[in-house]
Amino acid sequence: MADSHITLENLTKHYPGQQQPAVDGLNLEIPRGEIVMLVGPSGCGKTTTLKMINRIIEPSSGRILIDGENVIEANPDEMRRRIGYVIQQIGLFPHMRIYDNVATVPRLLGWPAAKIKARVHELLDLVGLDPSVYSERYPNQLSGGQKQRVGVARALAADPPVMLMDEPFGAVDPISRERLQAEFQRLQREIRKTIVFVTHDVTEALTLGDRVVIFGERAQIAQYDIPARLLTHPANQFVADFLGSRAGLRALDLVSVDRSSLRHYPTVSHPSEITSRDQPTVLCTDGAPWGVVAPGSDDVINIAPITLTPDLKLADLVSALLVNGAPCAVLVDQAGRYIGGISIDAVQAQVKDLHTDALGAETGVNNVGSHS
Amino acid sequence: MSAPTVDTVDTVDTVDTVAVAVFRQPKRVPRQLTAKMMVTTPIVLIVFSSIYFFWLANADLDSVEQRVLNWPSLASATLEHLQLVAISTAAVTLLAIPLGILLTRSWARKMAAVVQAVAVIGQLTPTFGLVILFAITLGIGFQYALIALIISAFLPVLTNTIAGIRGVDQSLIEAARGMGMRRGQILARIELPLAVPTMLAGLRTSIVWNVGTATIATFAGAGGLGSIIVVGLTQNRELITITGGLLATLLALLLDHIARVTDIALRPRGL
Repeated sequence: MADSHITLENLTKHYPGQQQPAVDGLNLEIPRGEIVMLVGPSGCGKTTTLKMINRIIEPSSGRILIDGENVIEANPDEMRRRIGYVIQQIGLFPHMRIYDNVATVPRLLGWPAAKIKARVHELLDLVGLDPSVYSERYPNQLSGGQKQRVGVARALAADPPVMLMDEPFGAVDPISRERLQAEFQRLQREIRKTIVFVTHDVTEALTLGDRVVIFGERAQIAQYDIPARLLTHPANQFVADFLGSRAGLRALDLVSVDRSSLRHYPTVSHPSEITSRDQPTVLCTDGAPWGVVAPGSDDVINIAPITLTPDLKLADLVSALLVNGAPCAVLVDQAGRYIGGISIDAVQAQVKDLHTDALGAETGVNNVGSHS
Repeated sequence: MSAPTVDTVDTVDTVDTVAVAVFRQPKRVPRQLTAKMMVTTPIVLIVFSSIYFFWLANADLDSVEQRVLNWPSLASATLEHLQLVAISTAAVTLLAIPLGILLTRSWARKMAAVVQAVAVIGQLTPTFGLVILFAITLGIGFQYALIALIISAFLPVLTNTIAGIRGVDQSLIEAARGMGMRRGQILARIELPLAVPTMLAGLRTSIVWNVGTATIATFAGAGGLGSIIVVGLTQNRELITITGGLLATLLALLLDHIARVTDIALRPRGL
């Protein structure tokens, strides 16, 4: 791959006293600036793989190249200062203030105090914690979600190009987790790090990952692909089973609403003004929609219009359609003005398109070890 | 750099089961010192001892009692006793804490069990026996009493140093390694500060233990409050025995209080 940032070559870990290697001859290329999720059943070697990249676990054999440099020949401590590391238990030092926790790596690197201060404040802002409030606090004064944010800020402190994350959101409650995931996606759009991310949660893998590696036993790659292609074209039965039987529903969560599937249904300000009964008619007052009349019906269905954003997923539309029973979801722009509607048929068409698009998509990823 | 410890399987440490009797869990100590906490124990001790010694000063004593139960004699015995405790505690601190730290390093893990076993033997051997043994083989004197005290008080500090460092959450060590801290930096910045409460608890045990065993130093000719107690026993004067014992008790309570206050003051914030 032209812009591979991390390359694993024939990477193997054999724990003493165990018959089978935990990771067996793994080859993997991780593109620059992308999030690659490692997912698989427990004991598949995904965490071992991650921890070999910064040599928390020493590989038995093989090569790890970061920017072409073999990590195994580097000084491990200096190498690790250039790699952000976030673990599930977070590992904030309880006897240090939040400020000192975040400042750990810059201090190891010998930054001047003024530069450290500016950086810590910048990072706390970045993860949504007010530096004037949180700098002086100790970890035990923070909630689980706040601790995890500090963990991410600490890993980002020296602006490492590579981040390794081991189930970082695994220990927080489901509501905080969703919020942290959303923040993490927003953050990654800004910082564009190369991230290797271990999770056992398929939904998390598909939502956050630019690409996903599905591991079988001994870290054998069952499939390495973009999420849409995994859902529509599982390489084998193992992958299909692992993703579960609801691939279609997962796709709804994954696919953003395509502007081109918007249709401009006619609008009227009062039901009596409806002229054509072949298609849905949208009721608007001063350009703001509030109801829909289905074709061949006189009943007005009250609706809450949905604001079209780049993040709007098909699942949001389907959910609205199921709840209010309208023939189409009504979308508005940021100002609340009507811009069009999307019917359930259009949603279905978009999911179908995904299958054909994914087939044609240039994934640029080698499916080492896939059984397709 | 040595191989990561992830590979090693924890072996069952048989010594730990013995050491449990000595290992003192750091109690839930209040975060901050309050004036009340600092003065309550000393006031109680002062009031109690004032009453006792006021009574003693006005008591009708016979000649044997008068020879022992006077201020210069009691004060010098107490001072000798304090000296024994202070020197042996300092020696234990200087020896057992570095040894405990060494034994938690990955290359020395296997030796820890052996050393702890030896320390357990030191603890379980009656100090009286040690003093007699030294007296027969080496002779008598202040230094032999000190050695016996150091041996008997070694274990709590050693065990708690090891337990304190080993008890540091392994995910913190992993996070520190993952950020590129060297072994020495991890020890100095993470492991030792977090082990301080447990180490101080061991030291506290050791001090109180030493106040008690230092009474035996008299058999090595090292004086201390033990000599007062022995006079009481040999001369069959209960009042002398009780007074010696009482002084040792007061001393133990006072030193324990000082250690406790130090413990709270030195405890890292955020714990």
